[in-house]
Amino acid sequence: MSSLKLTAVHKSYGSVEVIKGVDLEIKSKEFVVFVGPSGCGKSTLLRMIAGLETISAGDLEIGGTRMNDVDPSKRGIAMVFQSYALYPHMTVRDNMGFALRFAGVAKDQIAIQVQQAARILALEPLLDRLPKELSGGQRQRVAIGRAIVRNPQVFLFDEPLSNLDAELRVHMRIEIARKATMIYVTHDQVEAMTLADTIVVLRDGIIEQVGRPLDLYDDPANQFVAGFIGSPKMNFLAATIVEKTTSSVTLELTNHGRARLALPVSGGAVGEAVTLGVRAEHFGEPGAGEVDIALDIDVAEHLGSTSYVYANRGGEALTIEREESRNEIGMQTITVSIDPVRAYLFDARGQRIR
Amino acid sequence: MADARLARREQITGWAFIAPALVLLGLFMLYPIVWSLWMSFQVGRGMNLSFGGFGNIQRLTQDVVFLRALGNTFTFFIIQVPIMIVLALLFAVALNDSTLRFRGLFRTAIFLPCVTSLIAYSTIFKSMFATDGIINQGLMAVNIIGAPIAWFSDPFWAKVVVILAITWRWTGYNMIFYLAALQNIDRSIYEAARIDGVPAWARFRYLTIPMLKPVILFTTVISTIGTLQLFDEVFNFTAGTGGPADSTLTLSLYIYNLTFKFMPSFGYSATVSWVIVILVAILSFLQFLIARDRRRPS
Repeated sequence: MSSLKLTAVHKSYGSVEVIKGVDLEIKSKEFVVFVGPSGCGKSTLLRMIAGLETISAGDLEIGGTRMNDVDPSKRGIAMVFQSYALYPHMTVRDNMGFALRFAGVAKDQIAIQVQQAARILALEPLLDRLPKELSGGQRQRVAIGRAIVRNPQVFLFDEPLSNLDAELRVHMRIEIARKATMIYVTHDQVEAMTLADTIVVLRDGIIEQVGRPLDLYDDPANQFVAGFIGSPKMNFLAATIVEKTTSSVTLELTNHGRARLALPVSGGAVGEAVTLGVRAEHFGEPGAGEVDIALDIDVAEHLGSTSYVYANRGGEALTIEREESRNEIGMQTITVSIDPVRAYLFDARGQRIR
Repeated sequence: MADARLARREQITGWAFIAPALVLLGLFMLYPIVWSLWMSFQVGRGMNLSFGGFGNIQRLTQDVVFLRALGNTFTFFIIQVPIMIVLALLFAVALNDSTLRFRGLFRTAIFLPCVTSLIAYSTIFKSMFATDGIINQGLMAVNIIGAPIAWFSDPFWAKVVVILAITWRWTGYNMIFYLAALQNIDRSIYEAARIDGVPAWARFRYLTIPMLKPVILFTTVISTIGTLQLFDEVFNFTAGTGGPADSTLTLSLYIYNLTFKFMPSFGYSATVSWVIVILVAILSFLQFLIARDRRRPS
C-alpha cells in the first residue's frame, strides 16, 4: 500500500499562502508528475509530502495513514534532491549505504544492496569515487541509487538540475516506477508528458488540472493548461461571440477583419469577449477549415521534417507548424485555415467554454 | 626589442609599487627575525655580548624555570585548545539552527569577548576571582564550596582561571569560523540525511565534523599558535610574575621577564623565542599530518 491522499492541504509562511488548498489522490505505483511555472508551489508540495515542510492545514495520508506529524524517515519515502545532496566526503558506496547503517541493516547485507543498486544504475565502476570526481549525470544516478537502496514505498524526485539522460529514464520507468509510487517535480512540460502516468498542473499554489498526459493535451480545462502543455505553445486569438444557438456559437475574430467561424459549444453568451485557442499543428491549408486568415510572416524556422512559421496580424503573434514544408521560404504572408473541431474556446477568466 | 624594454619597464613599475611595503616588512619583520636568530647564539648580560655557540641551548636544558614554563604552556595548550574547539563547534551548530529564537543576540554575546580589551577583561576576571570576589560568593551561596577558593594563590586553581579566561575570550572567535563554514553547507544534505533516518548525533558526527574538517584544522592551528604565545592574561593576573611559584609562567612571559625584568639576557631570551617558533612549526605540521585525507583521489 503506497497510495497518497492530500485533503485541503495548505501551506503558509506567515501571511503568505503558497499552497492554497490542494486535493489530490495518487494511486499505488502511479507515476505522477507535478508541473508548473517556477514559484507555483510544486517543490513546496513535494517537500510537504516528504515532511521537510510542515503542513499548515489539511491532511496528508500515505498508505491510508495520516502522516502530517510523522518524522520524514518514518513515512516510507525516499527523495532525490534538486542539488542531489550527496555527502561530499563519502565515496559513492558510502553515500548509498549510509542510511542503511542506521536502519539496523547488517554490514554484508548493506554491501549486497548497494551492489544491486549500483548494477541497476551502471555505477559499479564508480563505487570508490567521491562525488566531486563524478559528472552531473553520474551524481544524479548516485542520488537515485541512495534512494532506491532503502526500498521506499514512495519515491520523490525534486526537479533535477540537468535533464535525465535517455538511458536513465528507461531505468527509472522499469526499476523504480514499477516498485514504488513516484512523484516527480519539473517545470519542463516535455519531461512531464514523456514520464507521467498522471500530470498535475499547478499554478499559484492551486491545482489547475489533473489528468493523463494526452487528456491534458487534448482536453485542457482552462487557458493556462492549454498554454502550458504542448510545444510550441497553443495560439490564442481574441474574439467576440456574435451569435449563439443551443449547440454552437459564432465568433468574430477581432484581429482578422471580422472573419467569422462557428464552434460546436453550448456555453457562452452573445457579446462576450472570448479567446480562441488553436494549436500550431492544427492550422490547415487555405480552404481546408471553416475560415481562412491571412498573416504576416515574421520569421520561419526550418528544422527539416518540421517548419515553424512565426507570424502575426494586428500585433497578435501566432505560431504555425508545417510538416515537410518548403513553401514559406521567401514569402511575406501566409494564409491558414482554422478547423472549429480542433479549436478551443475560453472565457475572459480563462475557463474553458464547452 | 621594444617588447623587452616594455617588459622591463613594467617590472620596474611593479617593484616600485610594492617597494614601500617590502622595505617596511624587511625592516620590522625580516631583519628582527634574522637578528634574533643571530642573537640566540650570543651569551652575556646587558650589552656585554659575545658569541657563545650552543651555550644557550645547553642552558635551556638545565634551566628549571624554562622547563617549568614549557610544561605550563603545554598544559594550557593540551587542555584549553580541545575544550575551546569542541565548545565553539557545539555553539556554532546550535546557533546555526534556524528555528532557534534570539539567534543574533546569542551570536553577538558569544562573539563579543574577543573584541573586548585584553587589559579590561583580565582586570575584571581578576576581581571576579578574588578571594572575596563574585565567583567565590556565588559558589558559596549555592553551597558548591564551603570556603572561598584562593584562585590566584593556589597553583592548580590559578591555571584553571587562566584556562577559563582564554576560553571565554576566544571561543566566540572560533565559533564564527564554524558558523561561516556551516552556512556554506548545502541544507539539502541534512534534509537528505533526515529523510534517510540518520539520527541527529550521527548527522553531527558523520556529516558536520567531516565537512568542517578543513576549518577545524585551521582553527586548531591558529589556537595552538595563540596559546603557545599566551602572555597578556597571565601577565595581568599575576602582575608579571607567573605566580604562584611559577605555576602560570608561560614561555612568552618568561621571555619578557628575561629581557626586561631580570638582568637583561637578550641572547638567551632570543633562544627561548626560537623554541616557540620551532614548537609552532612542529605542532602545526603534526596537525596537518593528522588531518590529511587518508584517501588519495584516484
